[in-house]
Amino acid sequence: MRILLLLTLLTFSLMAKIDIAVSYPYIGALVEAVGQDRVNVSVLAKGNWDPHFVVPRPSLISKVRNADALIINGAQLEIGWVPPLIKRAGNRKLSQGAFLDLSTKIRLIDGAHDVSRSGGDVHPDGNPHFHLDPHNIPLLASAIASFLSKLDAEGKGYYDSNLQTFDIAWKKDLEKWDEQMADAKGREVVQYHTVFNYFLQAYGIDSIGTIEPLPGVAPSSRHSMHLIDMMKKEKPCCILHDVYHPTKTAEFIAKKSGIRLVIVPHDIGALNDIESLEALFTYLVEAATDD
Amino acid sequence: MNKILLPTVMLAVLATADTELDDLNIQMTKMQQQIDILNNTQEAKTTTPPSNNSTTSSLPVEESTEHSFDHYADSFKQSSFMPDISLIVDMSYVNRNKKDEELQHLEVPGIAHSLIGSHSHGDTGHATYNANNGFNLNYAELAMQSSVDQLFDLNAVFHFTEYSVEIEEAYLTTNSLPSGFRVRGGKFLSEFGRHNNQHHHVWSFTDAPLVYHAFLGDHGINEKGVQFQWLAPTSNYLMFGVELLQGENESMYGTSAIVASGDEEVQAASSPSQPNLIVAYAKASIDIEDTTILGGISYATGESRIDHLSDEEGPHAFSAESSLYGVDLSLKHYFDSYRYLTWQSEWLYRDMDGDKSTYATAANDSFNTTALEKKQAGYYAQLVYAHDRNWKVGLRYDDIYKNEINAVDNEDDLKRYSIMAEYLPSEFSRIRLQYNLNKALYDEAGARQDIRSLILQVNLAIGAHAAHSF
Repeated sequence: MRILLLLTLLTFSLMAKIDIAVSYPYIGALVEAVGQDRVNVSVLAKGNWDPHFVVPRPSLISKVRNADALIINGAQLEIGWVPPLIKRAGNRKLSQGAFLDLSTKIRLIDGAHDVSRSGGDVHPDGNPHFHLDPHNIPLLASAIASFLSKLDAEGKGYYDSNLQTFDIAWKKDLEKWDEQMADAKGREVVQYHTVFNYFLQAYGIDSIGTIEPLPGVAPSSRHSMHLIDMMKKEKPCCILHDVYHPTKTAEFIAKKSGIRLVIVPHDIGALNDIESLEALFTYLVEAATDD
Repeated sequence: MNKILLPTVMLAVLATADTELDDLNIQMTKMQQQIDILNNTQEAKTTTPPSNNSTTSSLPVEESTEHSFDHYADSFKQSSFMPDISLIVDMSYVNRNKKDEELQHLEVPGIAHSLIGSHSHGDTGHATYNANNGFNLNYAELAMQSSVDQLFDLNAVFHFTEYSVEIEEAYLTTNSLPSGFRVRGGKFLSEFGRHNNQHHHVWSFTDAPLVYHAFLGDHGINEKGVQFQWLAPTSNYLMFGVELLQGENESMYGTSAIVASGDEEVQAASSPSQPNLIVAYAKASIDIEDTTILGGISYATGESRIDHLSDEEGPHAFSAESSLYGVDLSLKHYFDSYRYLTWQSEWLYRDMDGDKSTYATAANDSFNTTALEKKQAGYYAQLVYAHDRNWKVGLRYDDIYKNEINAVDNEDDLKRYSIMAEYLPSEFSRIRLQYNLNKALYDEAGARQDIRSLILQVNLAIGAHAAHSF
């Protein structure tokens, strides 16, 4: 009888997947790569939304409530929408260790020493868009593997071997991208918001300006005119523009300055054909090297 | 030199720390990467990697300044436990077609005394938002929140008006009950309906919906008590809540005995059993593509003790058993990250069944009591369009359409029309222009007085303020 019970429990535990809620699609892809058959992933934000301004809809509360664990990007990127979800969901697991903040595993750049909101809607801990440096991806995958192993000790070997497979494939891609990007070093670009800084810094590309005058503040005509003058002088290669801000101002600046405007994805799902992390970086590399 | 020094220091620090092996691996990769970055940025094409096995090397000694010593104050600093503190200030400029003193005598007949303007009850004077013509300082609200320990979060909102302060909210919330349960206790805004637990600074208009304001007063159901909520383990949002509240709401409930002025012995009604108010609700939400629908039904029941015995004109009191029913429906459709359209509507119905007491003699030492039953209902509907993160426009329609007193229809054509446009320079500031046409107010002679108000409101937030829920 006892054996029967144990067997049932064992089969049940073998079948039961752990439910992982993640804030953004890129985290979902990493959890799926490492967790594969042992996890169910639910992604809270859509890839084509502004990651700063996700609406904390009630359906997301249910996802957080029903999850076994929550993984967030951190560095205050979710400050405007995840706290009310956690507060409302009342998921005890999250306060007992089933919570991972990826930003704690990464060295953040652009850290502000002097934080004031007169400088716009700044992130005091540093730039939170660190997943856009492809060299950070293995760090994140490894952090996720350790986290999953902590939640589900039985699966440690499984996660480790998945991680290894992922790392090998990623390393191959990374070498290819590093090689392609070698020529882009020293180039200059303009962005809408400093969302692509990690990618640019990784490859020695200078971000010489942003279309928004201050973080989170809408473009002003004075700033745009100033930017156009500067771009005419500096001749950056292109304007890298995210998918979620209106492109009207950027189109105007591109026309006036004669600098090419490129819409680039920041996450999986930002554009229709960006269905994986590889596709995301392949697109970014092509955009940055295309002439 | 720096290039070698930095990784060496970091490795040495790491070696002394009691880190898990996995974390160490991450750190190692991270460092390798930092080294790469350093190499890249300095354009140094050296092929020899910095040595990785320097774990035995000693930490470089900090250059000691002449008089460097530890101070005990630094050892016992607690600033990292600072709660999130924010200050919200709301001010307005108001222009109405009636003078302040005329407004104070207007009422929603059979439903609410002076709706706009200042009024006093007990020892405290109250002003509604935007009470006076000209400049108004509506409030300065100090909000604090933090987790207390592994069990509780604590929130408090101090509502400062120009000459007084109220503890608008001070409550604990459990953060680790199992199975989707949550308990809240203290003083808080009830989650009856949709509007009631929203703070003023997230309202889409500068004043409360007419039916809320008329039935429940300036602050809605804002009571001491305890709240139990359960979030169902369903894939769609489904939540049930019950609240046991003191029930002191001055417009609809109340806990004080009704006694003749100057004589404690002469009672029209004794105080009800306390706590006096029970609130229950169920809320559900679904997403259809980029549209979110949220709906709820709510119920509140308790005893009324409404004391107007000290009024100069027609002193009276009302004690009753009172129930309030609510149905709410909200829709939000997103066009993109910033552009959306929201619809919010609520219907309220109340049934107050009891006795009206008036003084029987000029000496105010005995009461005449007559049966009084009020059945009243109204609703509001508002539509707000956010064009981008900086601009919003909105329309609101208020209607109290049922006003039955002792089975006789009273004035029940009580409407208000509102339109607003707001500019948000950032997440933290809001400038709103609102126009109201209020057709729900009557003077003492029973004649309707249309009130036109133009309100320019400025709302500012500083500090660490928690994000708002849906």
